[in-house]
Amino acid sequence: MKQGVAITGLGCLSGAGMNLAESMQSLFRNQRNPQPPQRFSTDHPVSYPVLELRDGLELPLDMCETIHARTSQLALAATLEALDDACWDVASLRGKRVGVCIGTTVGCALNCDDFYRAYKTDGDPGLATIERYLRSNPAALIARQLQLDGPNQTVVNACSSGTDAIGIAAAWLRAGVCDIAIAGGADELARVTYAGFSSLMITDTEPCKPFDLHRKGLNLGEGAGMLILESEAVRDGKKARGYLLGYGSACDAYHLTAPHPDGAGLKQALREAFAAAQVTPEQIAFVNAHGTGTPDNDRVESRVLHEVLPGVPFVSTKGYTGHTLGAAGAIEAVFTLACLQRGELPANIGFSTPDPELPATPLRENSRVEGDVALSESLAFGGNNAVLILAKGDG
Amino acid sequence: MRMAILGIGICCGCGNGVEALRSALQTGRVAPQEVCLERNGEADRFPTYRSSVEELSEFIPKRALRRIDHFSRMTLLGACLALKDADLLEADRSRTGVVIATGYGTLKTTFDFLDSYLDFGYACSSPTHFSNSVHNAAAAHVSMQFKATAPSLTVTQFEMSVASALLTAQLWLAEGRVDRVLFGAIDEYCEVLRYCRQQFFTDGEQGPIQPFSFDQQSAVVGEGAVFLVLTKAQEYAPYGYIDSVRLGNHLVNAVELPQDDMLIVGADGHKECGRYYAQLLKGREATAYAPLFGSFPTAAGFDLAVAALSLADRTRYPNPAVNGCANDAAEAAGRQFSDEKISCLKFGPGGDYGLIRLSL
Repeated sequence: MKQGVAITGLGCLSGAGMNLAESMQSLFRNQRNPQPPQRFSTDHPVSYPVLELRDGLELPLDMCETIHARTSQLALAATLEALDDACWDVASLRGKRVGVCIGTTVGCALNCDDFYRAYKTDGDPGLATIERYLRSNPAALIARQLQLDGPNQTVVNACSSGTDAIGIAAAWLRAGVCDIAIAGGADELARVTYAGFSSLMITDTEPCKPFDLHRKGLNLGEGAGMLILESEAVRDGKKARGYLLGYGSACDAYHLTAPHPDGAGLKQALREAFAAAQVTPEQIAFVNAHGTGTPDNDRVESRVLHEVLPGVPFVSTKGYTGHTLGAAGAIEAVFTLACLQRGELPANIGFSTPDPELPATPLRENSRVEGDVALSESLAFGGNNAVLILAKGDG
Repeated sequence: MRMAILGIGICCGCGNGVEALRSALQTGRVAPQEVCLERNGEADRFPTYRSSVEELSEFIPKRALRRIDHFSRMTLLGACLALKDADLLEADRSRTGVVIATGYGTLKTTFDFLDSYLDFGYACSSPTHFSNSVHNAAAAHVSMQFKATAPSLTVTQFEMSVASALLTAQLWLAEGRVDRVLFGAIDEYCEVLRYCRQQFFTDGEQGPIQPFSFDQQSAVVGEGAVFLVLTKAQEYAPYGYIDSVRLGNHLVNAVELPQDDMLIVGADGHKECGRYYAQLLKGREATAYAPLFGSFPTAAGFDLAVAALSLADRTRYPNPAVNGCANDAAEAAGRQFSDEKISCLKFGPGGDYGLIRLSL
């Protein structure tokens, strides 16, 4: 096992909590609160529950929603928490080579349906919404807001974006492109994705049930997860929250929205991550699975886990957060590290009845973690698969 | 780590394929097409640089393209032409990564999806439009078409998309994650974009693009796809090498231009970015080729293709003519060279910059 890239700070917010501590409390109390969307409405005859943030965001005034899109606000909130966790104040980052790599979906889409509705009715809508979109590219905005000089990249690999962003940021550090990286993912709940996922008929009308026999689909969520990655030179002995040992990604090249039935791309991503991390499947203490609660995803993922990581405990945390799309992989990486540190895993909420088609089933109860290395995986539209192998930090 | 450029695929307003680009560079002229839109009872006529994707059926059966939108068709055509140019159309692509840069993504399909529920109600939202509106749909079509099972990445970051995505392509090759990268830069025109640009740039959009009139808004909307087939530096590099990719913010830490390089700037008639070029160039010789393919965020990818072709042809192509007259900065252009380095510089409106250096 190699040392990997040090992760010195974590931050996250989602429907499970407004910060990492609150989120962990929800996870280990097995609490969740899916409900119909409060921030927008539609005329859809069916109401699908979602997991929205419980409270309002507390951000600097110049980050208010009329100026910047909610996705970027979520990204900034998680970034500030992660920087604080890593004992960095923003001013001390200036003059250093700091990269920003953030995954998103909604955060880069011109989903301005109010603007477009006005445009379609031959009105002359103002461009405030468009200007906000142009100001709000997540990685560019974080770099600009914190006055950072370094590479920045907004990854739009659908639901694996957050995982990919972390893997890419680690490569920047290894290559010496920057010394510190802010990496993760962010996505807001939006009417457009709500309509889109319901059109695909992969959303559940009840709280989602990942890996359960009666699973009917996902619940959408919103949030952000951010990690601070540091080179050894900059870290200079500072304790690490964890280490990124390996990253792998691969494309199914099979279907636009459905995973490869044999999980070909996921297996390839796992192989690459294991090789990069120099660990074996036997060393993995647990897996934070993608586990959306859709019939196809969970079937493929369960089969691959049974084949590649037989007997390794796994859990989907999407029952607590909903599917936060481009943020999901990052939030789950944060949870993975926090669970390694805590030495405990939450139950896979929503799972009660095993599906005979699924050879591997998730944890039903909160459980102790036996080991120091864990894995977080993401599957995505476009056939993307991405895997992170993470190790426990220095305490 | 240097990357060798093995092939180029172009689909844009100047035509399709390397020869179309070379011809446009030699003549220094591409006439934009006039588009006429009816809106609010008025006819709106304006120039655009549009792409034709008819040629795609030479590579992919029409039947297979039925549900694929214009954005992804441009992407596929650019990718096919690049692979053909590199003589890799039939090669095994299990270790070929796909990296796509786009400023805005699939605009038309995004609005088509909104149409589906705004016109017919949320219960009638189109799953086909939704799944094709996701930003990485084009990359997925490329991976599926070419059985490219290695990593795939899409980056969306307006003007910085190209430099940022190229940085990752470079690291994938350096770390041995892939043997080759199919690197593409794509943006498309749509009517809503025209409306927005008209509102933003009330004093422009009628052309011609005057890249070096930095204080004047003269952008003309364009679209297109450009692909490069990249591999680790090797002896055979028909279009030279990409030596380095640098990103930063000029306002935080001023960009330092390599002293002796030929300079291609992404100035494309946008006044907001023009001020940074004006500050930096201060009389330094530079070329800008936006008048050949139009103004759009990932046109920086076309600058890369021009640089690569210039290296292959050992020719510094002149600045495109504007109103029949060459720009002042073009005086020394059009000459042959033997051992040059070329830097491509692109600024975003916030002072973000991408600097990509190429050489033989």
